Amino acid sequence: MAEVTEKRSGPALNAPDTGATPASEALPAQSPKWGVARMTSLWRAYPLVALTVALAVAMVLAGAIGSVAISPVHTAKILLNQTHLFHFRASWPAYEQVILLRVRMPRVVGAALVGAGLGVSGTLFQGLLRNPLADPLLLGTSAGAALGATIAFAIPGFFAMQWFGFGMVAALAFVGALLAVALVYRLATHRGHTPVVTLLLAGVAVSAVLAAGQTLLITLDSRLALRLGSLYLWTSGGVNVQSWAEARIIAALVLAGTLAGVWLAPALDAFALGEEMAAHLGVHVERTKLLIVAVASLLVAAAVSISGLVGFVGLVSPHVCRIALGPRHRLLVPASALVGALFVVVADMIARRVVAPSEIPLGVVTALVGGPFFLALLRGSGATYRW
Amino acid sequence: MRHTTNQAITFDDVSFAYQKAPVVERVSLRVAAGEMVALLGPNGAGKSTLLKLATGILRPSRGQILLGERNLRTMSRDEVARRMAVVPQDFSVQFAYTVRQIVELGRLPHMGAWGLARAGDQLAVDEALRETDTAGLADRVFNELSGGERQRVLIALALAQDAGIVLLDEPTAHLDIKHQIETLDLMRRLNRERGLTVLAALHDLNLASRYFPRLMIFRNTIVADGTPSEVLDAGLLSRVYETPVRIGILRGEEHLSVMPPSHGEAALTTGDERPAAVHVFAGGGAGELMMRALADAGVHFTVGPLNTGDSDCALAERLSDLCIVEPPYAPVSPEGLAAARERLLASAACVICPMPIGHGNITLLETALDARRAGTPIILFEPARGLARTSEDGDEDATWAAITARDFTGRAAAVYRALAESGAVWAASPAEALLAFGATRATHSVTS
Repeated sequence: MAEVTEKRSGPALNAPDTGATPASEALPAQSPKWGVARMTSLWRAYPLVALTVALAVAMVLAGAIGSVAISPVHTAKILLNQTHLFHFRASWPAYEQVILLRVRMPRVVGAALVGAGLGVSGTLFQGLLRNPLADPLLLGTSAGAALGATIAFAIPGFFAMQWFGFGMVAALAFVGALLAVALVYRLATHRGHTPVVTLLLAGVAVSAVLAAGQTLLITLDSRLALRLGSLYLWTSGGVNVQSWAEARIIAALVLAGTLAGVWLAPALDAFALGEEMAAHLGVHVERTKLLIVAVASLLVAAAVSISGLVGFVGLVSPHVCRIALGPRHRLLVPASALVGALFVVVADMIARRVVAPSEIPLGVVTALVGGPFFLALLRGSGATYRW
Repeated sequence: MRHTTNQAITFDDVSFAYQKAPVVERVSLRVAAGEMVALLGPNGAGKSTLLKLATGILRPSRGQILLGERNLRTMSRDEVARRMAVVPQDFSVQFAYTVRQIVELGRLPHMGAWGLARAGDQLAVDEALRETDTAGLADRVFNELSGGERQRVLIALALAQDAGIVLLDEPTAHLDIKHQIETLDLMRRLNRERGLTVLAALHDLNLASRYFPRLMIFRNTIVADGTPSEVLDAGLLSRVYETPVRIGILRGEEHLSVMPPSHGEAALTTGDERPAAVHVFAGGGAGELMMRALADAGVHFTVGPLNTGDSDCALAERLSDLCIVEPPYAPVSPEGLAAARERLLASAACVICPMPIGHGNITLLETALDARRAGTPIILFEPARGLARTSEDGDEDATWAAITARDFTGRAAAVYRALAESGAVWAASPAEALLAFGATRATHSVTS
């Protein structure tokens, strides 16, 4: 324990561990060379480095696994060659590189981006709303995205159109999510003030209205009834990245959003003391609130546009990180991005492989895997974790 | 350290209204750097609103507020936060932040855009923890602390902010007396040692007068502003708080104290502000007419001791300012008697109604006699006098007959006689009693 705390010198205001893993602490640190204890100490000293390594490993594995098996070593080499920093000799068949770079990796990268976006936006919403149950899909984004996607399915010919390399479903889901949040925020604002409780209630109300609109649309439009299956699949969630161009745009959005989240971290910490106290500490409350909602919503919209509605990631990732790393947002935001990405990459891998050649909807996997995992974590950390 | 004479906070003709009801009306005030000022006033008087105006959370609808030399309106939240820290009432924090993490948030206004800390930040945090004796709590989770510990952490947070001015909004509201004293001791020490300017909204007049050299009584506007001895005036406070209070010095104390207008405490009233109130001895329904007449005339009065369940008691509870109560059918207790004596000395006059006199309450008459000899005007209400007012003698005879008829001790007549001889006034009706009371007041105010 002593050795571990010394190593964690890191940035000056780094979050001290709040007794996160009491079980491993209790054991004496008699570690075999690369045992669990060693991994734990790496995790404690440099959690972001450890998470990045874990994410990289998961992405390589996700690239390797599929209907055509590619060796993980080949996968790693092919991917490293793409950085132009490494020049491994091509000891693999050419089709492996094509499958990996054209088919699998866009999807794996997409999964990581979806997870990162949802993880960060969950952290932002939970911090802003001071509510541990806050989910990024709460403020109307999910209903707005679903309605947008339904409209895209409903309009003839629309379905096949492209927009900045995005399918129409993705584009309208993106726009729908943002419009819904903008509406919720506008409705909850009175004389320049936006109380978070009103924000939550407006979110619930607008979601209900939009969901009703979606159902109405499906009922009235007979053509839509024929596409109900694909609409249902979209709603259940599944990473669908069609091109690198699409992935690049989403990557830019998620990266910018995550950086903005880190930038907003001190304000989010101040919000934990209540809005008035945050103002006393120098935060422009209403301006910052709007900024947080805008950044978080952009992240959700970006994620939802290529994945449909993937539940649980935005709710669980921040909690997992908070249990392990404490509540400080400067560490929490990037950690949630990495944990969310890791979660969705693994979940997508499971979704692809378990019933291959068929697929399970991603949302089903995240709920089936994430739910029990989260519950186990909660019960395990028992006394030490408080919202 | 900051012993400058310039102004820390200036309100210049400031008004503020929520919706339409004005809460703060045309307030002008100055708090100099290094001062320690308590803001007092009843609930809903607008103290918190005044503090929110000072922090810039609310904008005045008229007038301007200066922080140092600068208009608050032109300052960013960062700039305000570097000059002024706020200690709120107890509150809870979402998520399990540790004490150190909370106190570190005090450095926010000094940090750059990305919230990166410098070495100076750590020093300020360490010093704030040390000053408030919270260093030992640094790694505890804030929400798990006791109320007193939290209050100290909130003060540490304000200190870490390194602002010259600290505003406190009811800092002691949720604390027991030990922690109230600790909190105010700490504020006084910081005021003296660091030259911190302190402006605190408080409820407890007595604690305020002990710790703060300057008190401001606030009720929508500043009603009084000065040292405790200037501000603590019974008449003023009674008006502001709409309840009678007494000011006195408790035995063995050097400070003025504010007390409820009751009985029991061994306090020396400062004398000259004897409230214009009447004390009434009644019982068995004898006091009904008198009490109604007093209430109708708008005269404040106190009653008792009365037995619970006595027909006068219910009425007294409703009409009087105070009713001294004894258990049903019990004789007057020593405590009740002491309370009555206290009231007699504090009141402008005493009315003795034609009540039945037994061994249980004859002591009241004797107390009244003592009070009469000490100078309290006594009015003897005796309806029998009016019935036979054909001649002076008939009046006298009827009076003594009536007194004897309701006397069960055989001693009452003698006490009544002594009362009359020492200057007690007879009244045949409530109206006459009121007239007599008016006369005694006139003479009383001339003599005092």
